[in-house]
Amino acid sequence: MEELTRTEKTELMNCLLDMGQLLLECGAEISRVEDTLSRMARAYGCVHTEVFVITSIISLSVEFPGEDVLTETRRIYSSSGTDFTRLENLNRISRSCCKKPFPVEELRKRLQQVASEEKSFKTVLLGSILAAGGFAVFFGGTLWDGLAASVFAIGVYLLQRKLGETQITPAGMNLLISLLAGLSVGFVCIAVPALHMDKILIGDIMLLIPGLAITNAVRNMLGGNTISGLVRLTESLIWAAALAGGFMTAILIVDLLL
Amino acid sequence: MKEILIQLVTAFLGALGFALLFGLHRRHLVFASLGGMITWGIYLFVHSFLKSSFLANLIASVFAVSLAEALAHWRKCPATLFVVPSIIPLVPGSSLYYAMSYAVQNELDTARAYGHQTLIAALAIAAGISFVTACRELHAARR
Repeated sequence: MEELTRTEKTELMNCLLDMGQLLLECGAEISRVEDTLSRMARAYGCVHTEVFVITSIISLSVEFPGEDVLTETRRIYSSSGTDFTRLENLNRISRSCCKKPFPVEELRKRLQQVASEEKSFKTVLLGSILAAGGFAVFFGGTLWDGLAASVFAIGVYLLQRKLGETQITPAGMNLLISLLAGLSVGFVCIAVPALHMDKILIGDIMLLIPGLAITNAVRNMLGGNTISGLVRLTESLIWAAALAGGFMTAILIVDLLL
Repeated sequence: MKEILIQLVTAFLGALGFALLFGLHRRHLVFASLGGMITWGIYLFVHSFLKSSFLANLIASVFAVSLAEALAHWRKCPATLFVVPSIIPLVPGSSLYYAMSYAVQNELDTARAYGHQTLIAALAIAAGISFVTACRELHAARR
């Protein structure tokens, strides 16, 4: 591979940080992000690489032969929006790049391509409907409970989308959504006594429980990334507490009305 | 028997739902959802013999992660893609809900029992994942 020019090196640095950010945001484990970045840097001819990633920051230092060390950090703000297709595509780019590094321009183009592809609205909506309905029945609800949970899941998803555009924190969002969901499910169950409020809520809770975040936190800690694991775990526990607070307030209000 | 069948079908649907929610590519959907269903089948099987929710969760999650690793190896993609849908039926959403619900109704003993159940399930899943991770690392180190 040819020697990179100065501008190409700076651009490569940017590409690597973008890669790390995209990976982190779509739900990759910390060790995967660190591993990918150092492998790719090596593939582009860096003799020495130091990568440090936690959930909110990526710090990358690379050293090209006979030159000073380049260091940059990137602050990561949002960690929501798990997207496995994107994760898979990024993984593919890194694999082929490590086998045979393509020009920096090409790498930039491919990353832009991946960043421009978003999960479709319909798929996620369908997923919410299936997951909520499925788990409402799974945990002992009737078919009607499952259908009701599916209908409320649509509301939950639309709210998540709307609130996601605002500056609200994940904890505040969970609190608000669970309160609204709890109240509306409660009222519908008062009106239609054949429905079981607990089963419907369990189905919809499964959508909001930070299950992936907790699983990832445990896997991060086991992979030796204790700090990130702890941060993520604490975050998830706070979200879960907000979730519980919202639902419990709703249940209390509905109980008082009965 | 009918109950088991319903649970298996809904575990499949739930896992499929989460796979879609997390944007898993279409070509992996069936395998990921089957993973969730089989994991729940193993949970039920072990639970009917050993009557221990810790052991059932542990064995089922060891199975789920091993299956996910194998699928990921076969389909050449990161294991996370299959770990999440496979493990999701084990997530103790129901006992968490009842723990909270009894807590606000001031029935603390019942709430505590459900809280315990939630914690045990969570610990068992974590232990299962760590077991497989450790095995994989040992294997990688020997190569």
